[in-house]
Amino acid sequence: MPADFYEEEDFQGQFKGNVFKRILDLMRPHWRWVVGFLICVIIVSILDAYFTYLSKQIVDEGIVGKDINALQNILVKYGILIVVQAASVFGFVYMVGVLGERVRYDLRQTLFNHLQRLSLSYYSRTPVGWIMSRVTNDTERVAELVTWGVLDSTWGVINILTSVIFMLVIDWRLALIVIAILPVLFYVAVLFRQRILEQFRKVRKVNSKITASYNENISGVRVVKALGREDENLREFGEQTSAMRKAGYRAAWLSALFLPSVQIISAVGLGGIIWYSGATVGSGTFSIGSLQAFITYMTSMLWPIQDIARVFAEMQRALASAERIFSLVDTTPEIQDKPGAIDPGTIRGEIQFEHMYFWYEDELPVIKDLNLTIQRGETVALVGSTGGGKTTIVNLLCRFYEPKRGRILIGGHDYTDLSLQAIQSRIGVVLQTPHLFSGTIRENIAYGRLKASMEDIEAAAKLVGADRFIQHFEHAYDEQVGEGGVLLSVGQKQLISLARAVLSKPEIFIMDEATSSVDTLTEAMIQQGMEAIMQDRTSIIIAHRLSTIKSAHRILVIENGQIAEMGNHAELLKLKGKYYNLYTRQFRFEREDAYNIFKEDSQTNFSAE
Amino acid sequence: MVQSKKGTADFDLKEAISPNRLVGLWRLMRGYQLDYTFATLMQGLSAASKTATYLLLSYFVDNYFLASTGTYPVWAIAASFVAFAGLQGYFTFLSGKHAAKTAEGTVERLRNYLFDHLQHLPFSYHAVTDTGELIQRCTSDVDALRRFYNDQAIGIGRIALLFVVNFIALLRINTRLALVSVIAVPIVVITSIYFFKKVSKAYEAYQEQDAILSTTLQENLSGVRVVKAFARQTHEIEKFEHTNWEKFKRGKQLLTIHSLFWPISDTICGFQMLAGFLIGAMMAIRGEITVGNYLAYAGLVVWIIYPLRGLGRLIVEMSNALVSYDRVFKIIKEVREPLDEGNYRPAEGLHGEIVFKHVNFEYSQHEPVLHDINFKIDAGKVVALLGSTGSGKTTLVNLLPRFYDYTSGEVLLDGFDLKCYSRRYLRSQIGIVEQEPFLFSRSIRENITYGVGRNVPLEEVEQAAKMAAVHDVILSFPEGYRTLVGERGVTLSGGQKQRVAIARTLLKNPRILILDDSTSSVDTETEAQIRSAMQSLMHDRTTFIIAHRIQSIMNADLILVMEDGHIIQHGTHTSLLREDGVYRQIYDIQTRIDTELEEELSSAS
Repeated sequence: MPADFYEEEDFQGQFKGNVFKRILDLMRPHWRWVVGFLICVIIVSILDAYFTYLSKQIVDEGIVGKDINALQNILVKYGILIVVQAASVFGFVYMVGVLGERVRYDLRQTLFNHLQRLSLSYYSRTPVGWIMSRVTNDTERVAELVTWGVLDSTWGVINILTSVIFMLVIDWRLALIVIAILPVLFYVAVLFRQRILEQFRKVRKVNSKITASYNENISGVRVVKALGREDENLREFGEQTSAMRKAGYRAAWLSALFLPSVQIISAVGLGGIIWYSGATVGSGTFSIGSLQAFITYMTSMLWPIQDIARVFAEMQRALASAERIFSLVDTTPEIQDKPGAIDPGTIRGEIQFEHMYFWYEDELPVIKDLNLTIQRGETVALVGSTGGGKTTIVNLLCRFYEPKRGRILIGGHDYTDLSLQAIQSRIGVVLQTPHLFSGTIRENIAYGRLKASMEDIEAAAKLVGADRFIQHFEHAYDEQVGEGGVLLSVGQKQLISLARAVLSKPEIFIMDEATSSVDTLTEAMIQQGMEAIMQDRTSIIIAHRLSTIKSAHRILVIENGQIAEMGNHAELLKLKGKYYNLYTRQFRFEREDAYNIFKEDSQTNFSAE
Repeated sequence: MVQSKKGTADFDLKEAISPNRLVGLWRLMRGYQLDYTFATLMQGLSAASKTATYLLLSYFVDNYFLASTGTYPVWAIAASFVAFAGLQGYFTFLSGKHAAKTAEGTVERLRNYLFDHLQHLPFSYHAVTDTGELIQRCTSDVDALRRFYNDQAIGIGRIALLFVVNFIALLRINTRLALVSVIAVPIVVITSIYFFKKVSKAYEAYQEQDAILSTTLQENLSGVRVVKAFARQTHEIEKFEHTNWEKFKRGKQLLTIHSLFWPISDTICGFQMLAGFLIGAMMAIRGEITVGNYLAYAGLVVWIIYPLRGLGRLIVEMSNALVSYDRVFKIIKEVREPLDEGNYRPAEGLHGEIVFKHVNFEYSQHEPVLHDINFKIDAGKVVALLGSTGSGKTTLVNLLPRFYDYTSGEVLLDGFDLKCYSRRYLRSQIGIVEQEPFLFSRSIRENITYGVGRNVPLEEVEQAAKMAAVHDVILSFPEGYRTLVGERGVTLSGGQKQRVAIARTLLKNPRILILDDSTSSVDTETEAQIRSAMQSLMHDRTTFIIAHRIQSIMNADLILVMEDGHIIQHGTHTSLLREDGVYRQIYDIQTRIDTELEEELSSAS
């Protein structure tokens, strides 16, 4: 996919015919609502045109005819119809609105459900912001088109049609003049609408740049001040705001010109009507009421034309949105169950990597010919520098990705023959940067086993030593963790994610140890928690801390996608190779940290302390 | 300085502050006030032209249809119709144009002012202010003000003028008829305000749920590995469905209010109109008004009542804009840090000798952060600050570029008090390399030349990058020096960022350096690179190093050990080792670690 694909707001080019069909399909389950609002809007627009006709009758039959009875009859009819119309207005606003919300709901849910099925590879190549925009903005636009878009254009078309019919009934020759002007009006209106939309798009683009500039200048204010960049920054920012003023002014200018332009075109039609009526005054074919009706029809026809033009201009964007939504829904998950995938009931047993190769999309090999057998209940520590392939091995074992060549066997089965559920529900994973969901601590631990009782949750927390700090919170287990767990420290988040893994009673435990330092007490607790969970479970740990590394049955040094050194702690030290270097460095580092009499955090910055 | 339109670059928006927010908004328009008045006036003329159309219709019907008293040819009447419509359109356009000019111009100036204001507000302000909140005010609230000028104020003016002009026309046709026609006006206005207040509330609830939905979605997407690892897809779907359904419900509530308001107001307006029709028609039948008058009346009355329905929306939105005014002006009221205060500037440049004499500092009263700091450092020498977080070392170096001014005592730079130098000059002479430097989302080249204030040839940039040991790293990126940093480009590691910052500082060529050397967990290779880069940077410059490990500061000319804002030990490495104190404790630890490592290794093998 091209690099700028994710920045592009709109698809250019032709839309496939089936986009329309698929959009219509969205409405099928709600066809009753569609029929309902269409009936209401048709009543409303016919009445709109009929009211003008009634006004004509008031003049011709009531006033000019000096018939008070007729006048009263017409007004009573008018009054009843106002109530009928109001009821219909209520009907269509309510129905089309609720339907719109319902379509939004459906679309969002469909997208979300599909996203849950997509593989990790999809997420690693698609920015989260892009996906979010599909679920929030695109659904909005499509729903808008199928509800208000359909409604406005229906109202517009019916209104124009009934108006034209009434005009033809009153005076067909004059009606033809009006009909001749209609296409011109429509053409001009669409032209304006498209230009205005274009300007608004520009405004939005510049606006996001301005927001980014504010953001950067505020968060980087220390650097700005220290480097004395104020004047230069203001100059650059001034260019953006000036572009914003121009685009905003142009959009407003066009909008201001839009209505007058169509009004003037229709005024020419009005002039024609006056002239015609004045010329035929003697013949009596054209009454005063007719004159009034024609003027009203001519002026009020601008509104439906404007509405249709707006829908027409926005349709392209909505179609582009629909196409993006459908393309997301059509993305097939790269990793899914084979037909006939089995659940062996347990995945305890040997894990074997056989001549396994792996590469990501750039096709640079990340794992090369990996051969490894992990015994049931064994603890294996993976060490080595960043980018060596440790995380990839873990991702493959979790089946977030699958080997490109070779295979992985779990308990003797090629793991692609097993169902994803069979593997992933029995693996407990603790990630390097623990991810928590907004909600309470209890909910976050229970993520490991949804139906866990309160006792089980507390037992898990106690086992990993998280119970102590949790009890210190005002609401204990019911304490809110904040968005993404912001209200907790890194160490606390790690303990909770450990408890979550413990609660899930995994058959294989996988942990990516955090590098960021936590205080000594928390570290000891994490250690204790890990030991509890690794007890007679096959465990694979991406390890950084010495205590973890040393407690493993086997240590693998992973370099350039291969096993560089393998053995236990003592064996590897004797080699005086990579492991030896790694170990001595980490030893000094941890010791210094432990003895550090300042006990300071690793971060200092120049803001206020 | 940005020269915005109308030469208002020198307009300090502080002058627009007023306890009355409407007055404040009026003052904010300085330079555009005539435009805006003109725009409002044009709305009046546009309304008048519309009214004239109906009056012409009245004349036409009375004098051509019902009698033949018309003195003008019919084509002239028809042409006048077109002309009035043309005028009406033209006036509307002029009004829109000048309102837009005012709104966009005023807001452009406001945006620039806020941007500049924020970068001139002191550290003490930024330290306690939330970034997201500031951005919110500079974008959403400013846009609310733009809409105030462009839509709300002028919209209310339009409705009011339409009402006034048409009402006067109605009064001239027939006073009684005119008065009868506005009976429902207060009802319409009150209903409209009542409903739109409700709409505004329901909309807020809807938006709130929208934010929750976004958070849920975002947490799911960024936590996709956890979701998959625990096979919790079904649970996630249920969770999302719950928030999604709540949004549907709140949307429905919002719609219910809308779907009630429009038919109710339609009915009120409709019956008011019908009452007018009835009375007007009776009058016409009785000959109290002419048929033409009736037609004009029927046309005009529509423009008196229906636009009032929109008044509620405008008034409610306007009250929101006034809240935005308060929020924006709270920032504007803050006092800037004067960059050019202090006029001493050494003729032959700075040497860099610094003396601290009994310096005390407190952020707020009675919360002292630095106590009686005394030391002297010669030009070109290195002073190291050792101590824990909160010991005051960062605060101490923050005094040098006058990010904060010390409370008492004095700091002498080349013999002159620091306050004699302008902040602008000081900052141009001081280079700062932080531990996690902030880079801007621009190209690497722009980041290196950021703050140099002149055009720098590529060779010079590369030279600096080579000295900072980051040239090879940059070349390994797909677009070399043009590679973007940040979300839309490459993500640099902490060590790489630091070296880019070193290159940036090398180009700036300051006399005084402040280095944060509290390197945490970078691997050995990078650590050595950073150290050598820093060495080349420190050459011949007065340097302040902030550290918490001894290795990096053993060669310093002066070491200050700090605790709770006091200097508890000072001297060179050798002299401090001879003293009994914190410094020797730290040093001893190093020896201890070495012994322990020996033991560890021998026990393993």
